[in-house]
Amino acid sequence: MPERPELVFARTDGGAVTDLEEYVARGGFVALAKARAMEPDAVIAELEASGLRGRGGAFFPTGRKWAFVPKPDRLAKPHYLVVNADESEPGTFKDREIMLRVPFRFLEGCLIGAHAIAAKHVFVYIRGEYEREFEVLRSALEQMHARGDLLGDVTIVLHRGAGAYICGEETALLESLEGKRGQPRTKPPFPAIAGLYAAPTAVNNVESITTVTVVFELGAEEYAKVGVEGSTGTRVFSLSGNVVRPGNYELPHGITLRELIYDVGGGVPNGRSLKAVIPGGSSTPVLTADDIDTPLDFDSLVRAGSSIGSAGVIVIDDRCCMVQLGIRVSQFYEHESCGKCTPCRVGTRWLTQILQKIEDGRADQSDLDLLLSVCDRILGTCLCPLGDSDAIAVASYVARFRDEFQEHVHLGRCPFEGASSLEGILAPSALHGAHGHEHEAVPA
Amino acid sequence: MSAELVTVTVDDRTVQVPAGTGLVETAQAAGIEIPVFCYEPRLGPPVGACRMCLVEIEGMPKLQAGCTLTAQDGMVVRTAATSEKAARGQESTLEFILVNHPLDCPVCDKGGECPLQDLTFRYGPGTTRMRFSKLTVEKPIPLSPLVALDRERCILCYRCTRFSEDVAADGQLIARNRGAHTEIATFEDEPYRSPFSGNVIELCPVGALTSTLYRFDARPWDIQSVPTVCAGCAVGCNVSATIRENKVKRILSRNHPEIDRGWLCDKGRFTYPSLRAPDRVTTPLRRGPKGLEEVSWDEALDTAEELLRSSAGAIVTALSGSETTEIAFALAKLLRQGLAAHSAVLPEATSNALDAFRAPLSAIAEAEIVVVVGDDPVVERAPIVDLWITQARRNGAAVITCSPMGDVRVPPGAATELCRTLAAPGNELGERLRRAERAILVWSGPGGGGGARLAELAHELGLDERPGSGAFHLPATPNGRGVAAAWSAAADADETNPEPIGLLVVSGDEAAADPSVRALAERAERVLVSTMFQGLATGWADLVLPGTGALEREGTMVNLEGRVQRLRRAALPPCPDELAWISKLAARFGVDVSPHAAAVYAEAASHLYRDLDLEEIGLRAQLPGRAPYEAPPAATTPAPEGPLAPSDERFVGELRLVRAHALFTGPAVERVDELRFQRPPAEVELSPADAERRGIATGDPVQVRSNGTSVALRARVNRRLIEGVARVPDEHAGDLHAAVEVIKA
Repeated sequence: MPERPELVFARTDGGAVTDLEEYVARGGFVALAKARAMEPDAVIAELEASGLRGRGGAFFPTGRKWAFVPKPDRLAKPHYLVVNADESEPGTFKDREIMLRVPFRFLEGCLIGAHAIAAKHVFVYIRGEYEREFEVLRSALEQMHARGDLLGDVTIVLHRGAGAYICGEETALLESLEGKRGQPRTKPPFPAIAGLYAAPTAVNNVESITTVTVVFELGAEEYAKVGVEGSTGTRVFSLSGNVVRPGNYELPHGITLRELIYDVGGGVPNGRSLKAVIPGGSSTPVLTADDIDTPLDFDSLVRAGSSIGSAGVIVIDDRCCMVQLGIRVSQFYEHESCGKCTPCRVGTRWLTQILQKIEDGRADQSDLDLLLSVCDRILGTCLCPLGDSDAIAVASYVARFRDEFQEHVHLGRCPFEGASSLEGILAPSALHGAHGHEHEAVPA
Repeated sequence: MSAELVTVTVDDRTVQVPAGTGLVETAQAAGIEIPVFCYEPRLGPPVGACRMCLVEIEGMPKLQAGCTLTAQDGMVVRTAATSEKAARGQESTLEFILVNHPLDCPVCDKGGECPLQDLTFRYGPGTTRMRFSKLTVEKPIPLSPLVALDRERCILCYRCTRFSEDVAADGQLIARNRGAHTEIATFEDEPYRSPFSGNVIELCPVGALTSTLYRFDARPWDIQSVPTVCAGCAVGCNVSATIRENKVKRILSRNHPEIDRGWLCDKGRFTYPSLRAPDRVTTPLRRGPKGLEEVSWDEALDTAEELLRSSAGAIVTALSGSETTEIAFALAKLLRQGLAAHSAVLPEATSNALDAFRAPLSAIAEAEIVVVVGDDPVVERAPIVDLWITQARRNGAAVITCSPMGDVRVPPGAATELCRTLAAPGNELGERLRRAERAILVWSGPGGGGGARLAELAHELGLDERPGSGAFHLPATPNGRGVAAAWSAAADADETNPEPIGLLVVSGDEAAADPSVRALAERAERVLVSTMFQGLATGWADLVLPGTGALEREGTMVNLEGRVQRLRRAALPPCPDELAWISKLAARFGVDVSPHAAAVYAEAASHLYRDLDLEEIGLRAQLPGRAPYEAPPAATTPAPEGPLAPSDERFVGELRLVRAHALFTGPAVERVDELRFQRPPAEVELSPADAERRGIATGDPVQVRSNGTSVALRARVNRRLIEGVARVPDEHAGDLHAAVEVIKA
C-alpha cells in the first residue's frame, strides 16, 4: 500500500467537516491568518516556492498566475477571483468531494487568493448539477457570515451554472458569469488583464484553491517535500471504470498507475485483464496496459505520451471496443461543443459519424485515413481546447489500438460482435441530458 | 497621439505599421490577403470564430487566428502564400465550413458576390471528403417581411448577432442551441423588428440572410451599381443603387466613414419599390369633369402657364425638404424671377449658426459626453445618428437624453427652455459639458429655430473652441437647408403674403402630404401639384405634374452636418423630370433655367457654396470647415413647437398631445407593403400615472378626443414617458388638437 498523506482532506477522519466551530477547533483559518499577515507579494512568493500547479488540467503554476494580475495601483479596476467549480470533465469528480468534505478549507483558500490579488469579490462558478455541493457551500458561507472577522471586506458569491461543459473553459465561464452565452473568448487579452467585466481576474480550480490553504497550513517548504520534483504535493485522483474500488483518492504525485489501480483500487474486477487507462480525464491520450508502471506526475505522463490532466483515471478492461469508446467520447464533445468556432463545431460531429461508420462495418481504409486527417485538422486550429480534446482522444485510440480499428474495416463488422461492454466507463452523452435539441440515441 | 511604428514581415515582405494595427490590416498594408469571414472591425473586438484567418507566426507552435492579433515589432507572419501549414489550416477551415453548406450557389442570391465562393476558389479544397448526409433544416425562415434566413447556408460567423447586440444594441438576433445545431434566430422567434435590420444582409458573408425584396431578382453579372446618396432623411448616407434593366433592385451601403460607417436604416434601404408604386404619376393630369384626367405635356404646360399668368401676384409655393437644391433653385427662378412670387412655405431649415460647431457625425463616437434635447427619439429623425450615439456609449461616453421620455424628463416643447437652463452657470449638466474636452449636443425635435437655440447653448459652453465637440440639429426633412437656401438665393425681393391665394404651387410629395399645406389649399383658388403619387393629388389639385424620386435625380443635397453631397441618377424616371418642365415653363416667362442639374448647380453654387465645383464633391463628399459663430436671430415669441396650436382653444383637455415623428412614415414608405410592419402602431402612449388614473392598461382600446374630434387607438403604458402627455404617432393623430383626453372605450 503506498503512503497516503492527506493534505487536502487533512483532519477530516475520512468524513466531512461542515461545521465552522469544528473546522476552527481542528486548526481551521490559521492559514488565512498567516497569509493575511503577509504582503500579497509574499503570499505569491510562498506559493511559487511550494511548486503548486493548477489542478484543473493545464497544470499552470498557481503563484505565477496570480503574479500576472496587475497590482491595483497599476490597473485601477476592481480585481476578481473566480473559482472554477464547474467540474465536468468525464471521469473527473474530485472537486465535488472537496466541496462536500472540506468546504471551509476551500473557502479559506478563496480568501487567501482574494488577499493575494487584492480582490474584494470572489465568484464561485459551480456546476449546476452539483446541488448538494452548492448547499454545503451555502451553509458554510452562512456560518462564516455569522462570524464577521473571517470574510473581512471580501464578498464570496456562489453562482450556479446551467449545464454546459464549455463553461469549465475559463473564458466561457466568465462570459456565462456575465450573463452571456457560454462561449470562449479569444486570448489575448488574458483574464489576468481583462477577465470578468474586463477587469483583472484570476481563475482557479477548486482543488488548486483548496491546496493554497494547505500550502499555508504546512508552509511551502514542507508542502514541496510531498510528491516529486516538478509535481509537488498530493493530488485527488478520481478512479473510475473497470476497477474494484472506484472513488476519489488523495495520493502524492508520482505514485504509479499500478499502485493506484491495484494497491489502492483493488485491481480490475471479475478476473478481467487491464486493456487501457485514460490517466487524466477523457481529453487525455489513452495508455495501454504496458504503461502500467508510469508514475502519475506531470513529466512522467508527458514522457508516456499522455497528460495528467484533471487526474481522472479511467480503467478499461478487455471487454471494451476502442471504436465504441471513441464514439462515446466523441459524442460527448460533439454534444458539448459550443458552436462558436468552425473546426470544433463541425469536426467533432464528423468524427463521431466516421467512428460510427467504422463500428458499423461500413468503412474502408480511406475512412480510417479520413478519421486521422480530421483529427489532425481539428488539432491546433480551434478557439479553445474542446475540439482538441476530442481529436487528441480519438487519435490516441487509433494510435494505440490501430489493429482493432483495422479489424473493423477488414471484417466489415465490430470484432466484439455485441460482446463489447463499456459498462462503468464514462457515461453515454445521452445521460448528460439534451440541451436545446433532440440528441440521437446512443448505441448501447 | 500617433502610435509608434513597428516592423512586421508578412510572407517575406516587410511593412511598417502603427503598433496595435490588426494583423489583417497589417498584411493588407503589405499587399497580402489574410482571408476572413467573421472578422469585421465595425462590429467590435474580433471573435476568432470562423478560423479562416489562420496564419503561422514565427515562434508560435500553433497556427494563430490572424484577426485576433495585433502587429508587434519584429513579428514574422506567414500566410497561405508561403506557409504550407497555414495553407492547410485555411483549407481545413473551408473544408469544415463546406461540410454542411448546401453548395446551392446556382440558385443562391449571393452567388457571384459571395466571399465563401471566392475564398473557396482561392484557398479551399477542390473536392469534398464528406460522405454523410448534410444537416438539413427548414428554410428559408422569414426573420421579418424584409429578411429571409437560410440556416443551411449559414456558416455561423456571428456577424449578424454581433451587429444586433453591439451595433444596433437591440438584442434581437441571437444564437441558440449549441455545437452543430447552433442556429441564428430572433429572440423568442419574434419578427426581427429593428430600423437597422437590413444591415445584416450586407454583413452576411454567405447567402444565409437575404433581402425578400431582392431574392431571385438579379445576378451580379447583370446589374450595374450607381453611387448616390440616400434622401430618406438628413443624414445623407452614401449608397450604391443596384440597377437591372433601368430598375432599382437594391440599395447597398457605400460606406462614408464620417457619415454612416457603412450602415443604412431600413427606410433608406427598402423604400425603393415605391418608385414602381401603382399610383405613380407618369403623365400630367388635369382636373376635368370626371376628376383628374391625363393630358399631353403641351396641354399641361399651356395650363400651367395659364394658371401662373392668371394668378400673378397671388402665388404661394410650398416646397418639400426632399427636393434637390437644383429643383428648388430652378423653381425659385421661375416663380420669383419670372412672376415675382416670393411667398413660400419652406421646410424646416437648419440654422447657419450651427456652422460654428460643425463636426463630422463620426465625432459623436469619440465624445466624452453626448446630450440630446428635443421631443423626438433620435432614431425616428436621423437613425444613423442613433448608431453613432450607441457607439459613443459603448466607447464609454455619458449619453443623456432630455425629452418627454428621456433620462432627464422634460415636458414636450420645453427644449428651448432647457437649453437656457443648461447654459446658466451652476447647472450641473451644463458644467459637465463645459468641462468635457469632447462634448456633443444634439437637437432632435421640432422647434428651436432649426438648432439656433442649440447653437446659442453650444456657444455659451464654448464648444466652438473645442475641435472634438459639435452640435447637430436633426431636421425633419433631408434637404430642408439646401431647399431654403436655394429659394432665398434665387431672388432678392421680400416675401408678401397674398390673400386670397390665387395659385398654390406644391412641389414634391412631402409638401403634398403635409396637412398644413392642405389647409393652405383651402384658401387657394387653384392648386398645381408636382408629385410622384396620384394619391397625393387627388381631390385638391387642378393640375398635376409628375415628380421623380431621389434615385432618379441628378443634383445635390445638404445633409445635417452641412455637407454638400451629390445625387446621381440611378434609373431613368418614367417621365420628363422636374427640371425639364421647369425649364420649358421658365422660358415662357423669359427666365433662363437649364434642364440640366449640373448647369443649375453651377449657377446656384455661385450663390450658395462659394463656387464649390460639382466634380470636387466627388464620391465621398468633404465636410466644410467651421464658420465663425454668428448669433442667430433671437427666439421669437413662444414659437409653436411641434404641432400647430389648435384653432379652437375653448376645449381644455387634460393631456397634451405629442405628435410623434416616426421614421417609417411618409408617402414612399406607405407604398411598400414589406415595410408595413415597421410603421408606427395605432397606439397612444401614456405615462403609468396617467394610465392608472384612467383605469387604462396596455392593449386597452381607447378614444383619444379633443374638441369635436376623436380617434380610436390602443393604449400603451410607457414607463419612461412624462406625466401629462398623450403621445400618438403623427399619422394616427388625425385632426386631434393640442389638448386631448383619453377615455377607455
